[in-house]
Amino acid sequence: MELRKYIFRRLIEIAIIFFVILTVLFLLFRLAPGDPVTRMVDPNMTPEDAEHLIEQLGLDQPIGLQYLYYVKNFVTGNFGVSFHYGQPVADIILNRLPNTVLLFTTSIILSALFGIFLGKIAAWRKGESTDTWMTIGALICHTVFLPWLALILIWLFAYKVGWFPLTGMISAEVWIDPEAGFLEKAWDIVHHMILPLGTLFMIHFGSYLLIMRSSMLDTLKEDYILTARAKGLEEKTIRNHHAAPNAALPVVTSVGLSLAFSINGGALTETVFTWPGIGRELVFSVSNNDYPLAQASFLLIAAVVLLANLVVDVLYAYLDPRIRYE
Amino acid sequence: MALLDVRNLSIGYQTRKGFLRAVDSVSFSVEEGKSLGFVGESGCGKTTIGMTLMGLLPKNASVMADQIMYKGRDLLKISPEEMRKTRWKDIAMIFQAAMNALNPVQRVGDQIVEAILIHEPALDKPAAQERVEALFDLVHIPRERIRDFPHQYSGGMKQRAIIAMALSCRPSLIIADEPTTALDVIVQDQILDEIKTLQKELILSILFISHDIAVVADVCHTIAVMYAGQIVEYGKREEVFEAPVHPYTKALLGSYLTLGTEKTQLEGLNGETPNLINPPKGCRFCDRCEATGPACRMEIPDWIDVSRTHKALCCKIT
Repeated sequence: MELRKYIFRRLIEIAIIFFVILTVLFLLFRLAPGDPVTRMVDPNMTPEDAEHLIEQLGLDQPIGLQYLYYVKNFVTGNFGVSFHYGQPVADIILNRLPNTVLLFTTSIILSALFGIFLGKIAAWRKGESTDTWMTIGALICHTVFLPWLALILIWLFAYKVGWFPLTGMISAEVWIDPEAGFLEKAWDIVHHMILPLGTLFMIHFGSYLLIMRSSMLDTLKEDYILTARAKGLEEKTIRNHHAAPNAALPVVTSVGLSLAFSINGGALTETVFTWPGIGRELVFSVSNNDYPLAQASFLLIAAVVLLANLVVDVLYAYLDPRIRYE
Repeated sequence: MALLDVRNLSIGYQTRKGFLRAVDSVSFSVEEGKSLGFVGESGCGKTTIGMTLMGLLPKNASVMADQIMYKGRDLLKISPEEMRKTRWKDIAMIFQAAMNALNPVQRVGDQIVEAILIHEPALDKPAAQERVEALFDLVHIPRERIRDFPHQYSGGMKQRAIIAMALSCRPSLIIADEPTTALDVIVQDQILDEIKTLQKELILSILFISHDIAVVADVCHTIAVMYAGQIVEYGKREEVFEAPVHPYTKALLGSYLTLGTEKTQLEGLNGETPNLINPPKGCRFCDRCEATGPACRMEIPDWIDVSRTHKALCCKIT
């Protein structure tokens, strides 16, 4: 019951923060250099036509009124029409979102599982060569420049060796082939996904390993680990049953937030691999002054980050009995 | 025969500054159903002795002894796996930092059940849970708190739960390392009474470690006063507490107040404990001792027998 109240209160907070973000975003776009009209208006248009267009877009209205329209449209779920695609923004986002979610959820969950597992081993064998090599490896993965890594992987495995496709998410010939079954289509996506997945895996896995390792080292110094040892438990039980679950808690926060930021954090990866997701659309819409699409993408990111924070907090209450919300 | 008989135990740590001899040739024994109290300042080696008996010293420690006989087995000669099985089953420990000695994300009852099942695999879970209930009755915690988490307990309850856990496998020897130090005096008194009662009822042997000589005198049959890694006075409670002979024991007794006595002035002890990497050549207490003479600085003191059961490490006693 307490938890339900807590979630309700947090949702109200989130709504307020979201409204602030909404406003800031509106102002930012009005302050940004470049003008949507100059892009849309054909030089061959007559001044009357141009004016008509501006009127149609509502850009001749006072800025206060524009803001009210903006909020009203948002509340009614009308995100407008993309300047570039000429399609409703909502449709474009709903179409791209699953691709992003598929790629990032998979990569973050995989890297978290491996990071937690190897971080646990590294901390347990602190000072041994296993630990040294794992830590060095994790540091390299964690600090490597993502686009560079992505390009190297593409160059090596897609261009030189040719194991994986260069770009995209699907091969058209598989998908128009009426003979192709579900398995073939699924394999086609997996085949395209391996390189971007590998890139994201390496980037995230390193940091999870390092977080888990240092958290585990702290946990191993706790008095209750000594108690566990004094109880005559086997070392494996102490490591897996008493130390690791407690040490993994900070990783949960990190995973939750990476999932949230992956929606936009993937901009680089998605662009390099031409993965048809939200991140790539964001880069594209900003560089092309596609206001409605860019605005909606930013708002989506804001909403996901805010909600992910809430989910992580609630999850914590389940994982750590010391945390109770009132 | 004594339950535990330790002869010439020395424990050292390899540190960056050199070899630190934390415990230097101590000998003691614990009889069945009796308790032995170690008392001394921080860093005098009391906890290190406890950890050695549990086989829980850190890796950079080395142990030398003529023998650590426990129930006819020399703990120095058994394998780590046998030592693991001995821990808690035969020798359990009540920890110094009871506040954090329970795993915060596991239920208190489950943590005790875990200890029981690891040493008595033949038992099933309901039987182990039944035993936990009996243990909770024994240490006076309401049964409905078995499924609580440690943070829901008060300090005293945590300490009682730790005692219940220490008793869970019915050990013969319990090492109690400052079991009441973190508690306020009223709770401290209750816990000490409880320990004394349990000891009588269950015929437990207890090795009690404390910096508080009054607490040790309250609980223990025999007292060993430690200073800088050595036992300096060893004897029955009445002998050490009421008729101390070593200047250090006298100083310890002079440094606390009791109700009903006429003592109005507390006597402190000047100076610091000696560096154990380079201990003094002669008596370790000579720099802080009021009775120091030239011989104290030069000669290692010998044990002087005051009575058949009472002895002290000091050359000023005649």
